[in-house]
Formats: sequence, C-alpha cells, structure tokens
Amino acid sequence: MENIKEYLKAERNQEWRAELRKSMKAKERTGRERNDMLERDPNVRNKNIDEVNLGLTEELALADARRCIDCANPTCITGCPVGINIPKFIKKIETGDYLGAAVVLKETNALPAVCGRVCPQEKQCENNCFYTISLKKPAVAIGNLERFAADYERNSGQMAIPEVAAPNGIKVGVIGSGPAGLSAAGDLCKLGYDVTVFEALHEIGGVLKYGIPEFRLPNEIVDVEIEVMRKMGIKFKTNFLVGRTATIDELKEQGYEAFFVGSGAGLPRFMNIPGENYNGILSSNEYLTRVNLMNAANPDFDTPVLKGKNVAVIGGGNTAMDSVRTAKRLGAERSVIVYRRSLVEMPARVEEVKHAQEEGIEFMNLHNPVEYFADENGRVNKMRIQKMELGEPDASGRRRPIVIPNSEFDIEVDTVVVSVGVSPNPLIPASLPNLKMTDWGTIVVDQDTMQSSIPELFAGGDIVRGGATVILAMGDGRKAAAGMHKYIQEKINK
Amino acid sequence: MADLTTKYLGLTLNNPIIVGSSGLTDSVEKIKELEKNGAGAVVLKSLFEEQIMMEAEHKLKMAEKDSFMYAEHSETFDYIDLHVKEKELNKYLDLISKAKKEVMIPVIASVNCVTAHEWTTFARDIEKAGADALELNIFIMPFNMKKNSKEIEKVHYEIVEKVCKEVSIPVSVKLSPYFANLGKVIKTLTKKGAKGVVLFNRFASPDIDIETMKVTTASIFSTPGEMHNSLRWIAILGKRVKCDLAASTGVHDGEAVIKQILAGANAVQVASAIYKHGPEYIIGMKKQLDAWMEKNGILYIDSFKGKLSQEKSENPEVFERIQFMKYFSEIK
Repeated sequence: MENIKEYLKAERNQEWRAELRKSMKAKERTGRERNDMLERDPNVRNKNIDEVNLGLTEELALADARRCIDCANPTCITGCPVGINIPKFIKKIETGDYLGAAVVLKETNALPAVCGRVCPQEKQCENNCFYTISLKKPAVAIGNLERFAADYERNSGQMAIPEVAAPNGIKVGVIGSGPAGLSAAGDLCKLGYDVTVFEALHEIGGVLKYGIPEFRLPNEIVDVEIEVMRKMGIKFKTNFLVGRTATIDELKEQGYEAFFVGSGAGLPRFMNIPGENYNGILSSNEYLTRVNLMNAANPDFDTPVLKGKNVAVIGGGNTAMDSVRTAKRLGAERSVIVYRRSLVEMPARVEEVKHAQEEGIEFMNLHNPVEYFADENGRVNKMRIQKMELGEPDASGRRRPIVIPNSEFDIEVDTVVVSVGVSPNPLIPASLPNLKMTDWGTIVVDQDTMQSSIPELFAGGDIVRGGATVILAMGDGRKAAAGMHKYIQEKINK
Repeated sequence: MADLTTKYLGLTLNNPIIVGSSGLTDSVEKIKELEKNGAGAVVLKSLFEEQIMMEAEHKLKMAEKDSFMYAEHSETFDYIDLHVKEKELNKYLDLISKAKKEVMIPVIASVNCVTAHEWTTFARDIEKAGADALELNIFIMPFNMKKNSKEIEKVHYEIVEKVCKEVSIPVSVKLSPYFANLGKVIKTLTKKGAKGVVLFNRFASPDIDIETMKVTTASIFSTPGEMHNSLRWIAILGKRVKCDLAASTGVHDGEAVIKQILAGANAVQVASAIYKHGPEYIIGMKKQLDAWMEKNGILYIDSFKGKLSQEKSENPEVFERIQFMKYFSEIK
C-alpha cells in the first residue's frame, strides 16, 4: 500500500503535472460546472438499438478535465476496483494527449471503453471524488472522461498494444471470457504467461456481449478491446466448455500450470409463483442472450425472441432495465417494470432508470406478481399483481416490502421477463469435488489472492460474488492474476 | 394383542400415535428412530415463513460482512428473501423424499403459512416429493384488533381451498383454539377440501417473573393438564364433522391416547412427551393402549373411537352450560 502511495506521489510530482496544476487556480477549477454527455432523442432511440449515450465532445472533455484539481490525496482511486491512476489520465486529457490518457487507463484496466460505459462510477470513483466528499458538488466526470479517452483512441486507429513481458513459456488457462476472465488474461499476458481463454459460447465477451444490450454497450466496442488482447498474444478458444469439452485435469495434462475461473453466474433464478412455467415467461438471461447474441430480434434468424405487445419485466436492477428497454425497442406497446420496492431502493443505476423513464417505460413500483394465467395454448395472458408497502429496513438498510392484504388486481401481459437475480454456473464446481463452495454455490477464495481450496485454481467475478458489477469482476481478475503469478513463481523457485 | 391400526386422512397408521411437527422430525435419522420405536406416522417440522425471513436477514448480514458477496447493484441480493425461501423449500423437499425412501410409516409434510398466495405451488412440489399428506399450520395469531373474526376465517378457507385444488394428497389443518365458532369453521374447512383437523396448535406462552418484574416465556413443553381443551372439542365434534380429527397438545401417555380416541379422535399427535422421555417412550404408550384394550376386550381402535363423544347431545352448548352450572353450584 505504501508503495502505491509513493508511486502515485512520484507520478504527481512529475514536472508536467506540477506545471499543469500551476496553470490554473484551484478555485477557478472548482468554480466550473460539470457537463453531461450528449444523448440520443428518447423517442427516436427507443425504436432502434443505437447507443443511447453519445459521449463527450473534445471541448466538453477538456472542460471537465479542467475541473479535476489533481489532489495530493486522490481518494477517487480508492473507489476504483482496478486502481486506475485517475488524476493522471484526466490530466493527460487536459494537456490534449488523449492517446496518452488511454495508455494510462490500460496500465490497470483491460477494458476502458467498456468501463467508461457500464461502471457505476457514481457509487465508486466519483463517489470518492474531492468534489463529492468535500465540496458537496457534482464529481469530476471520471467515467465520461474514461469513455472519451478510450473512444478517441479507438477512433484514431492507433490502438496502443500494452507492453508485454518476454514469454516465460508457462501455460495458464482462463475459464470464461467475461470481464473477470479478460481482466485476468490481460494481466497474466503482460507478465509473460502463455494465456488461453476458454469460452463456452461462440462469442468472446461473456456478459458484456450476451447480457448488456447494444444500446448501452455496442458489441463492436467489446470486439475492439478483445482484438487488442489477441494482438498482445492471448489465445481464445470458443465453444469450449471446461468440465465437459475437457476437464481441468485433462487441461493440466496438456501442461496448464494454473487456472482462473471466471465462469460467471449464468443460471437464472425465478420467483416460483403459480403459472411461472407458461409460454411467454422467460428469464432476463434468456431474453437478453437471444436478442444480443443470437440476433433473435431479426425475423430472418431461426432463434426468434417473443416480441410482446404487453411486456412486464419483474425486478429493479440493471438487467431489468436492459430487458424492459429492449422490449420497447422490439416494438412493445406497453413495457412495464414491476418492482416490489420503490424507486429509491432500486438497485439499477440512476442513469439507467432515467433513460428508461425518458423512453416511455412504465414503472409499477411497490407491486409484485403473485400468479400468472394463460390462454388455451398455454401462453401467458394475465398477471395477478399485489400492492406492496414499505416496512422496517432489512439488514441491507433498505425498507422491506410488505404485502398490502386484498390488494390484488390483474393486468394483461403476453410476455414476462423475470429479472430477480442469478446463481453461479455449476459446471466447473460440479466437476471438482474438492473445491470448497459457499452455501450460495459460489467458490470460496482467499480475499487477497483469489486462490481457491485447490491451490492451482483461482477464481473471481460472479462465480465468487454471486452477482456483481463488471468493474468488481475486473478487479477480481487483476487480483487473481497477481495471486497466480505469485503461486507459480513460488512453485518454480521451490 | 389388540389391533392398533387406525385410519387418519385416508392413510392407514399401524397405531394412532403420530409424532407431531417439531424438531423431533427435522431429519431422516430422527424419523428413522421414531419409526423404530413405534410411531404410527410423523408430521415433519414445519417451514415457517418467519424462519425463512430470519434466514434471509442472516444471509444479508453475512453477505455484507463478506466483501465478496455484497454488491449494491446485485439483483440477486435485492431478492435475497425469495432465494433463501427457494433454498429452504428445496431442502424441505429433499427431507420429504429422503424420509419416504427410508421409512415405511406415513410421512406428513407441514407448512406454516399466513397467506393463500405463497404456498400453493409449493404444495404441489410437496406432493411430487412423495409426502403422504400435507398438514397446513395456518399461523394467524388472533391478536390483530383491526381484523374481525370473519376476515381471519376467510383466510383459512382461501388457503385450504387453493391448496386442495393444487394437490391430490389429503390435506389437514392444524388450528388454534381461538375461534368464535370453531365447529362452524371446521365444517366449512371440510367443505373446502380439508380431510382432517388437528386440535390444537400450541402458541408459545408468556409468563412473568415477579422478582425481576420481566416478561418471560413459559415452558415450551405442554403439560398433561393442557389436554382438556382438545378433549372437549374432539368430544363435541367427533361425530358431527365429516373430517378426521387428531388431538394435539397435552397428550403425554397411553391414558391420554385412550381418552382422546374415546372422545372421537382418529389419532393423536405427541411431541413434548417425546422431547422429555425420548423416542422409546412411544413403546410404553403403545403398551398402555394395548393393555387397556385387552383388559376391556376391545379388538380394534374403531370399536371404541368416539364412544364417549357428545354425539347424542343435540345441543352441546346446553350440555356444556349444564356441566358448568352443576360443577360450580357444588362449590360452596
């Protein structure tokens, strides 16, 4: 920790940064207003899958970068799970060195263009910004600036390939190509390892591809970042199910010294209420995967998704918002969120809720489904809902939803998307009887090294957390890569 | 040796002593032990909605402590109570199916519920898991001053009706003694599909420590003196309702079993006595019953079941009043 502090101090003391700080008084910086990103018109964007946010213009980015006072104690970094040197990349932007800013981002973050789009910065780096903590003003737009730098680099055609150590010839396997896996793969590759990423699906990117819709994170953005990783030397094997196509033991026989498991939490959970098995009721995982990855919205493809007229999405998280906004884009006349708590308690990002509201999504907060009904063909046609009120706070501090007796009523639906959480993929744990698991089906790991009860096996992301954000998964991947490196080096030097 | 078999909820029990829903019936090993010692059937430990909520709360607290498991943006944790419930329900279904594989005696599942919504699908799963019957422990405490008796009764009817539509196994209802007109309630429950009622549920009772002037909890175990209320009601209802009756609370020995059957019970449920004396105590209770039947030349349970019910009393309330007046008028 002391080393990091020293490093950051030395970086901050570099001449160019000292000069930049002097170039404008802190008061002048803090007197500036934060800029918002440009967005597409809600009534246009809700009919297509184009990205909603348009990012910052160069002018806006410069103006926002100037707000950062380059604190001596950059608390923002403590809020970043991958430890980006935030003031440094922002100051690079202020100097107009946008490509340099992207290089700084890539020092610790394998997917800056992704994080700039989907990270809950308002709860992490921006929540720890000097403006938020001390001035009680809107934070420096760290996320928007991250996106700006990453996009600038991509559009410039001069994508920097991170520096990679000389190959050490040691094979390591990364299971799952989601944010945790990609992050671990990136760091391991930088350390000189021969990295192979095994992906069960036909596309690389895991939840970034199948879970997050185009209008929030275009697949092209993910592909470009993956291409950089390929150029670094990382190998990708798709349609490869570790535990079935080959077991961990078989891979060990092929010379793999250690593994990182980032196989995610792709198993949907349901509410187990009457009628939940009717046609037209599906999990958000299935719904979004069909649309995002299997081109199901396209009638020419043979994996169609149900295009409902009356679509209800159950839940209040980001996945629920993604599903309900997708339904709207697929032509639903009524797309409604049914959530048992109020808007305040919703786990979805404030920005996603705002976008959904702008796009004409209806919110039935303090409502919860209790039963589904179907027509003679078994297709859902009605949903019974009960009204809720908020009681005392639960252990998470949020007020508990309580049923209002005799408040049930029915609404017409033809498609229901259930988005009430996920559980970890059981395939790898099931193939390793000695692997220590929690009650929740997640892998038990050491907090510092991400090492599991099987020494050569490390894990991170949703398979450890049961459901988390992209950036937390990436933080795990980085930590695990460091843990794996230490483990392998100690084994070699024994 | 007399034939102790009896019919309860359409099931044949090799004797009328059922081990009631409690910690005595929460594992396959314990159930096997109860069967070995002669239990006629077991009612599995109930799943309490409150317990599930407490478990969810505990999980949330643990998740918050565990830096990995807690994420504000997680939909999984947003619905943690639901997922805990699913997990607990699956554990319960597992207990049913494992118990059914290991023992020959009937295994009656028990669900402790307060609404008509939550449990109806689960009832179907209970049937699929192999339970021989389902006992609904409708746990509505009669202390809500805002609700009238009709509203409370209505919830009971709705739950029974809905569950009976979902399953084909027999459904019984364990009731509290607090009803304005218990007989009418039981008749309606029978119409809604209940095949039996268990009289009565025993709520945890308060006590007061006069030294510390604090409210405490009275003994969690029943005493033989608590049997009279169920004995009275079984005697009144024995031949007046179409469903089966099981007596619960205060049945502590073979003599109590005999009394309840004489009053009209098909079976009895025991728990406190087994907690106090262990599973082998059932052997003694059965011996007592058998010896009494032999002594009285009774071959079958059915031969004396309801012999002392108030069948012949057309107006039990008048009978009760006369008994009351007679008893108290003798006290000078």
